[in-house]
Amino acid sequence: MTDRRRINGPAAATIPPVFLDDGGKEQKETPLIRSRPSDVLRKLFLKTGVTPSASGSAYLEIETTFKSGVSGLKLSCSVHGPRSLPKSAPFSPHIILSAHVKYAPFATKQRRGYLRDSTERDLSVHLETALRGAIIADRWPKSGVDIVVSIIEGDQDRGEAAGTGDETWDTMNVLSGCVTVASAALADAGIDCVDTVAGGVSALVVDRDGAESVVMDPVASEHGKIMAACCVAYLPSRDEVTNLWFKGNLETSDAQWYTELVQKGIQASRSANRVLVQCLHDTVKLTG
Amino acid sequence: MAASLTFPRTTFAKLSPQPFLLANLSPPDPSLPSTRTNGRHPSQSRVPLVTTSSLSHAHGSAVVRTGDTTVICGVRGEILPVTGIPAYRPRSFTEADDVVAATVERWDELREYDLVVPNIELATGCAPQLLPGVPPSTLAQTLSTRVYELMHTCRLVDVDELRIWYHPARNTQEGGDEKMEEDGGEDEEEEARPELKAYWTLYIDLLFVSLDGNPFDAAWAAVVAALRDTKLPVAKWDVDRDMAICERNAQKGLTVKGLPIACSAAVFLERDQGLHLAQEGRHWVLMDPDRLEDEICQESVTVVVDRSGGETRVRALEKKGGTVVGVEAMREIVGLAERRWEEFSNAMPKK
Repeated sequence: MTDRRRINGPAAATIPPVFLDDGGKEQKETPLIRSRPSDVLRKLFLKTGVTPSASGSAYLEIETTFKSGVSGLKLSCSVHGPRSLPKSAPFSPHIILSAHVKYAPFATKQRRGYLRDSTERDLSVHLETALRGAIIADRWPKSGVDIVVSIIEGDQDRGEAAGTGDETWDTMNVLSGCVTVASAALADAGIDCVDTVAGGVSALVVDRDGAESVVMDPVASEHGKIMAACCVAYLPSRDEVTNLWFKGNLETSDAQWYTELVQKGIQASRSANRVLVQCLHDTVKLTG
Repeated sequence: MAASLTFPRTTFAKLSPQPFLLANLSPPDPSLPSTRTNGRHPSQSRVPLVTTSSLSHAHGSAVVRTGDTTVICGVRGEILPVTGIPAYRPRSFTEADDVVAATVERWDELREYDLVVPNIELATGCAPQLLPGVPPSTLAQTLSTRVYELMHTCRLVDVDELRIWYHPARNTQEGGDEKMEEDGGEDEEEEARPELKAYWTLYIDLLFVSLDGNPFDAAWAAVVAALRDTKLPVAKWDVDRDMAICERNAQKGLTVKGLPIACSAAVFLERDQGLHLAQEGRHWVLMDPDRLEDEICQESVTVVVDRSGGETRVRALEKKGGTVVGVEAMREIVGLAERRWEEFSNAMPKK
């Protein structure tokens, strides 16, 4: 059944533009080069206070790579609360977190619908887990906080054909961005946390020549093939991991790859955390 | 006024917004000008900021900011083959060329085939009461419909630019006999004529990042700015594959007719303690209302003006909820809308 509360457009299915392949092939010929060393993240921009009416808010942007058509990540997050739970809600001795992650319809190559899909629900659950470990929840009994992340632009290569399976790896980058931006917004809202939590991604990649290596902040279009990826939400001062998401195809015998992936993920998270802390320092300086 | 208060301004504003705004608008010293709670004059609007082309997946995009209201608009074109349109009326190429025929015909393809699809998403946590996980609110539905209607009445987009034609190769025209054999001889005369095969459908998605009153003006400005920024790929119909194929490097900018700009005002009435209308009934027309004013004012006016042709043209007038604004006040608002048009026109990136 169609959604009658929105404007749905033509009854028939519309087709996203299909391009001639000649142009695409030329692009494929260009060697897959990583724009930076394997242990360096893309530049990150973080700013708090984009939604003045919210308790706390933040905006995160990851720079676009030199390759044309590859977009960076643009996330906006607002935090509402702590506020009292509705009367119907049962008693809760601690704060109730609810995280919503939503892709904007124009965020990805394929136009997204307005209803939440499984990826978005998955991201929400992961984000909630990552933040729950950082918040001192028992300071606000009987209250709730809403964390809303809007993905204005997902990390995707426009040139790449749809269905190559790169989307799964991009989701990792999106999650790590979500964790970082939500953490900044929580701090902006003045909700007590044990530490600022930041997300980091590492991946095991196989390059053209067959060499395997672990890189931080992978961009699918810059590497030959991604074997496995790992997204870590990490609290640096406590040396704790609040959320770990591992995805990929890796033999169980290679235990060293697992540890290395997590190690690199933590390292990436540490780098993101430095930006996060710097951003919060700047905000404090500005507001006095 | 503030000296007698024992709590800060924001608390007062939250507890009793109506008297708070009234107290600000009618200062005890009559020599002082009346100011709104946000520090603006009643006729003063917020400065608009417009940025375009910041999204890489959309064909056109714009970010519009007026004060604390921020909206992002992305336009994306998708192809709708005519075979998929239920009540499709075929049209020939000559008809499109013939200006007279086009004007006589009242068949509005843009509306009949639903080729523009604007949607406004408010449930993004842009204001404390607008949280996700719920169906679109009444406000979101109303805004989407208003934008939809205004797009059609203003005729912003020319449907001719959304048509995708199939041009049969020239040589088949000369070798008509062979062609006839191939196609079983049907429609010999139509054969060489270009054939309309598909339409571009424009999905216009608006996402509010932050909302501080007057969502319609910002949303409409974002739609106009994003459409002006839209570049659709050049598409050709491929008979063999029976689909439209786009060229990766060739794009064509969309022509947007005029520059209509919406300008909203709210009317604030003086009420006594029981919130009934006071006898003398003083009122203020507040341009570009913020969230507090939006919530307490019942009467509102939206004027859409276009001065791109040199003289002012009123594209739409909307007034709802109240009896204060008459002809004189309406004229005044149109005058202020002209000023607003200049502001937005300067803020829009030059083509």
